[in-house]
Amino acid sequence: MSRDAPLAAHAVNRRRGKSAGLLAAALLAAPVLVGLAYAIGASLGVVAAANDSQPSLARIARVLGERATWDSVLWTLWVAASATGLAVVGAVAVAVAFRGHARGDRVGRALAALPLPMPHLVAGMLGVWLLGQSGIAARAAFALGLIVRPAEMPPLVYDRLGVGLVLTLAWKEMAFLAIVSSALLATRGAAAEEAARTLGASPWETFRRVTWPLLWRGLAPAVVAVFVFVAGNYEAAALLAPSDPLALPLLVAQRATDPDLARHADAYVASVLLLVIASAAVAAHEWVRARWEPFVP
Amino acid sequence: MMVSPLVARGAGERTWRIVLLAVLALSSVGPMLLLAIWSVSGAWFFPALLPHTVTLVAWRSAIGSHALASALGTSTVLAVGTALIACAVAVPFGQQLARLAGWRRHVGAAAAFLPVAAPPLALGTGLQVAALAAGLGGTLPGVLLAHLVPAVGYLSLLFLGTFTLLDARPAEAARTLGASSWQAWWRVTLPQLRRPIAEAATIGFLVSWTQFALTLVVGAGAVRTLPLEVFAYVQAGEDRVAAVGALLLIIPPVLAMAALRWAALRTEVLPA
Amino acid sequence: MHFDSLTVRRHVTRLVTVPVLAVLAGLAACGAHDGLPAGQADIDAVRGLPWDSVVGRARGTEVVWRMWRGDPSINAYVDGWVAPRLRERYGIALRAVDGHGPELVNQLVVERGSGRRAGTASLLWINGETFANLRKEGLLAGPWATRLPSAAFVDTASPIVRRDFEQDPAGFESPWGRVQFALIYDTLRTPLPPRSVADLAEWIRAHPGRFTFDQGFAGTTFQKILLYALNGGVSRFQGGFDSTRYIDARVNVFAWLDSLRPFLWRRGETFPPDVAAMHRLFANDEIDFSMSNNQNEVITKADHGVLPRTASPLLLRDGTIANTHFVGIPFNAPNAAGAMVVADFLLSAEAQLEKQRPGVWADGTVLDVARLPEPWRGRFARLGTDPRQLPRDSLARYAVPEVSPRYHELIAADWRAHASAFTRREGAR
Repeated sequence: MSRDAPLAAHAVNRRRGKSAGLLAAALLAAPVLVGLAYAIGASLGVVAAANDSQPSLARIARVLGERATWDSVLWTLWVAASATGLAVVGAVAVAVAFRGHARGDRVGRALAALPLPMPHLVAGMLGVWLLGQSGIAARAAFALGLIVRPAEMPPLVYDRLGVGLVLTLAWKEMAFLAIVSSALLATRGAAAEEAARTLGASPWETFRRVTWPLLWRGLAPAVVAVFVFVAGNYEAAALLAPSDPLALPLLVAQRATDPDLARHADAYVASVLLLVIASAAVAAHEWVRARWEPFVP
Repeated sequence: MMVSPLVARGAGERTWRIVLLAVLALSSVGPMLLLAIWSVSGAWFFPALLPHTVTLVAWRSAIGSHALASALGTSTVLAVGTALIACAVAVPFGQQLARLAGWRRHVGAAAAFLPVAAPPLALGTGLQVAALAAGLGGTLPGVLLAHLVPAVGYLSLLFLGTFTLLDARPAEAARTLGASSWQAWWRVTLPQLRRPIAEAATIGFLVSWTQFALTLVVGAGAVRTLPLEVFAYVQAGEDRVAAVGALLLIIPPVLAMAALRWAALRTEVLPA
Repeated sequence: MHFDSLTVRRHVTRLVTVPVLAVLAGLAACGAHDGLPAGQADIDAVRGLPWDSVVGRARGTEVVWRMWRGDPSINAYVDGWVAPRLRERYGIALRAVDGHGPELVNQLVVERGSGRRAGTASLLWINGETFANLRKEGLLAGPWATRLPSAAFVDTASPIVRRDFEQDPAGFESPWGRVQFALIYDTLRTPLPPRSVADLAEWIRAHPGRFTFDQGFAGTTFQKILLYALNGGVSRFQGGFDSTRYIDARVNVFAWLDSLRPFLWRRGETFPPDVAAMHRLFANDEIDFSMSNNQNEVITKADHGVLPRTASPLLLRDGTIANTHFVGIPFNAPNAAGAMVVADFLLSAEAQLEKQRPGVWADGTVLDVARLPEPWRGRFARLGTDPRQLPRDSLARYAVPEVSPRYHELIAADWRAHASAFTRREGAR
C-alpha cells in the first residue's frame, strides 16, 4: 500500500497537471476569443449598434461582397509574404556569414540584432524619411547628380506595390529572424556542417544540403510569426501604404472613422477577417513547430 | 584556438563579411543618427542632405510639453506593470503548459501564441466593446489589461520552452531530501530561472512600451502613451518633435537589450 | 494515447466555459439601464437657475474635454492658456483627451449600450457631420448654448456662424471658432498661381504630377468646393440633401477629376493619406500645392519649419468653404455644469482674442467684434496682422457656407470607390 501511494500520488499529480495546463491555455486564449466574439457581435449589429439598425447578416454580406475588401486582403498578404521573404534572406545571410566565435562574428550578430526593439511606428517614420521621393536616398542621388527632381526617383512610398513598406518591415523583422537563425546554427548546425566540410563538400554545397534544410525547418515557426506580425501591423502601413489598395488594418481604421455612420460597423467585419487570418497563422505555426521541432516530449 | 575548416576564411569570404558588416552598421546605427539629426534640424527640405539650420526648438518644446511628459510617465507605468504582472502570471502558466503532452501540448502552445499573433488593431477593436461595457474603456487599468494579453501569451511561450528544457533533477533531489513542494519551488527552481525571468521581464516591458494599436483603441483617447504622442506629432507634420519622441521611445529598449546581451556574454562560455 | 471520453468532455467543457462565461457576462452588462443619463439630467436641473449657481456647481470639479489633439499649437493653447485660467478663476480642472469625429460617435454609442448613467467626457469638440450624427442618435444633451452669458456677442448674423453644415445648432452646441479653406502655394516656385477652378485645371495640365489632394478632411473639403464650382454654385445645394441633385452633380466632379487624372501626382492612382503628408510633399518640392481647412495654418506651420517661409495661402474665385466649429455636451456627461462654464469661457472675448493670435492658433473668432465693448473691440482691431494673412474682405468675398453633411459623407466614400474602379479599368501603370 505504501509502495503504491507515491505512484498513485504521481498519477494524480499528472492528471491535475493536465487540467491545470489546459486551464492555463483557456485563460490565454480567452481574451482573443472574447474580442472575436464582440467583433462578430458588432458586425451582426447585436452589440454597439446605432439607434435604428436591426441585427442582421446584411452588413457582413455587403462588406464581404465588396471588391475593396478582397483587394485589401490580397494586398496585405502580398506585403506580408514579400517582407517575410526578404527578412529571411537577410537573416540567413547574416547568420551564415557571422557564425563562429571570432570578434567580428559577435559584432556582426550584435549589430544585426540592434533593430529588434524598434517599434513599427519609428520604422515607418524612418521609411518615409529615407525612401520617399524627396527622402534621404533621393537627396543622396541628387548630390551624386543622378536626379534633378523628386519625381525622377522611383516611388517607394504610397505606391501600389508597397515597396517602401515591404523594405521597412523586412528591415525591422530581419533582426528577430537573424537572432533565431544564429541560435539555430550555433546549437544544431556546427556538427553537421563540420562533418560535411571535412568530407570535402564546397561551401555552397554545404549550405545547400546541410545548413539550409536545417535552417528553414527551425525558422519555419518564426517565419509564420513574422508573417502575421507584418500583416496585422497598423502604424507602419498608416505612414507608408497607398490609399488604394488599402492595407487591411488601414481599412479597419478608415471604416471606423468614416463620416457616414452606417459604415462604421464595417470596421468590425474587417477586424474579424484579420483575426481569422491570424488564427489560421497560429494553427500553421503550431503545425509547423510540431512537424519540425526536433525535441518533442 | 584551433580554427576548424568550417570557419577558415578565404579572402573572398573576408571581403564579403566586411561589406556585410559595413551594411549592417549603417542600417542599424544609421536610423538612430537620422532621428538625432531630425530632432535638431530647423527647416530641412529637398534637396538638402543636411539641415539648413540647427536648432534646439524641438527639444525645448518636447521637454516643456506637459502632454509628452505625462505620456512618458504613463508608458513607464504600463510597461513596468506589464513586465512584473506578465512574468508572475507566465511562470506558472508556462510550467503547466510544459507538463502537457501530445495534442494538449499543441493546443496549449497555440493558445499561448494566439494573443501574440492577433493583430493589435483587430484585437483592440473587439476588446474595446468589452472594455467600455465593463467600464474599463479609457482607463489605465483597462489599457494595462489589454497590454497583458499579448505579453502574457509571449512570456508563456518563452517559459514553456524554458520549463521543457529545465533540469528537474535538483528540485526532485530537494523533494527526496524532505523539502515541501513550495520550498523546492521557491529555493531550487526559481533561482534556476533567474536568467529566463530577466529576459522575460525585458520582453514584457518591450511589448507594452512599443504597443500602439491596443492603447489607441482600448484607451479611447484618454490614455496617452509615448507611441501615441509620437504618432500624433507625425500626423500633424511636426517631424522634429516626433523625432525627439522617437528617440525617447527607442533608447530605453536598446539599452535594456544591450544590458541583457552584456550579461549573457559575461556569464556564458558560448556566445548567444 | 487513450482518449477517455469523460476526460475529453471535462477538458472541452473547461476550454469552452471560460470564454463563454466571459462573453455572457459582457453581454449581460449591456442593455442594463439604471436611470436617466447624467448630462441631460444636469442640464434640465440647471435650466431655470441663474448663471452664478451654474458657476457655483462647477467650482472644484473636473471637466474632461474630448477634442482633436493632433495639433500641438492647439494643445498648447488649451493646456497652457485656457486650463490654468479656468483653474484660477472657476476652480475647474480641465482635462483634454483625444477623440474627434466618428470616434466620438462610436464611443458614445457603446457607452450608451453599456447602460451606465455617466460617461467619461463632459465636453466635445464637434461640427458638421459629427453634430448631425450625434443629434440623429440622440447623443447630445441640451439645449444649453444660448443661455451662456458670452453667447450674447456671437455673430449670429453671419450665415457661417449661425448654421453648422446647414443645421441649426438649436442650443445643442456652442460656437468656438471659424476657419476658411485655402490652398497653399510657394510664392517663389509658383509666382502666378491659378485663381479659379478652371484656371487650376489648365495649370494641372501644364504641370503634370504636381497637384493632388488628400484622403482626409481637407481633401474632402476640396472636393466639395469642386462640387459647388462645377455645378453652378453652392446655392444649388442649399436647402437640405437632394439625392438626385447630388448624383447629377457628382458626375461633373468625377468627370473633371478623371479628365485630369493622368496629370495628377502619381497619375492619380494613389492619394496622400492626410494633410501632414501633403505638407511634406509640398515642402519637399514633390507637389506645388498643399491645402488646409484653416487659411492661417500656413503661418503657424512655416514658423515651425514644416512649410517653407515663402509659402502663402490662396483662395479660389469660385469660393472656398468657410465653416465654424463648436463644442457640445454629451447626453451622459458627468459634469454638464462644468462643461457649460468652460464653453462660456472659450466664448469670452479674452479667450477668442488669444486664440486668434497668429503665434498661438490663428483661428478666427465667432464673435461680432463690432458689438464687443471696449477695450476688446480695439484689441481685436490691433491684432498684429502677418503679411501672409489673407485680408478680411477677400475672405468674406469668397466665403462659401457648408451644406448638408450628407454631401460630405457621400462624396468621400463615392470618390474612393470611383477612384479604385477607375484604376482597375484603365489599368495601373
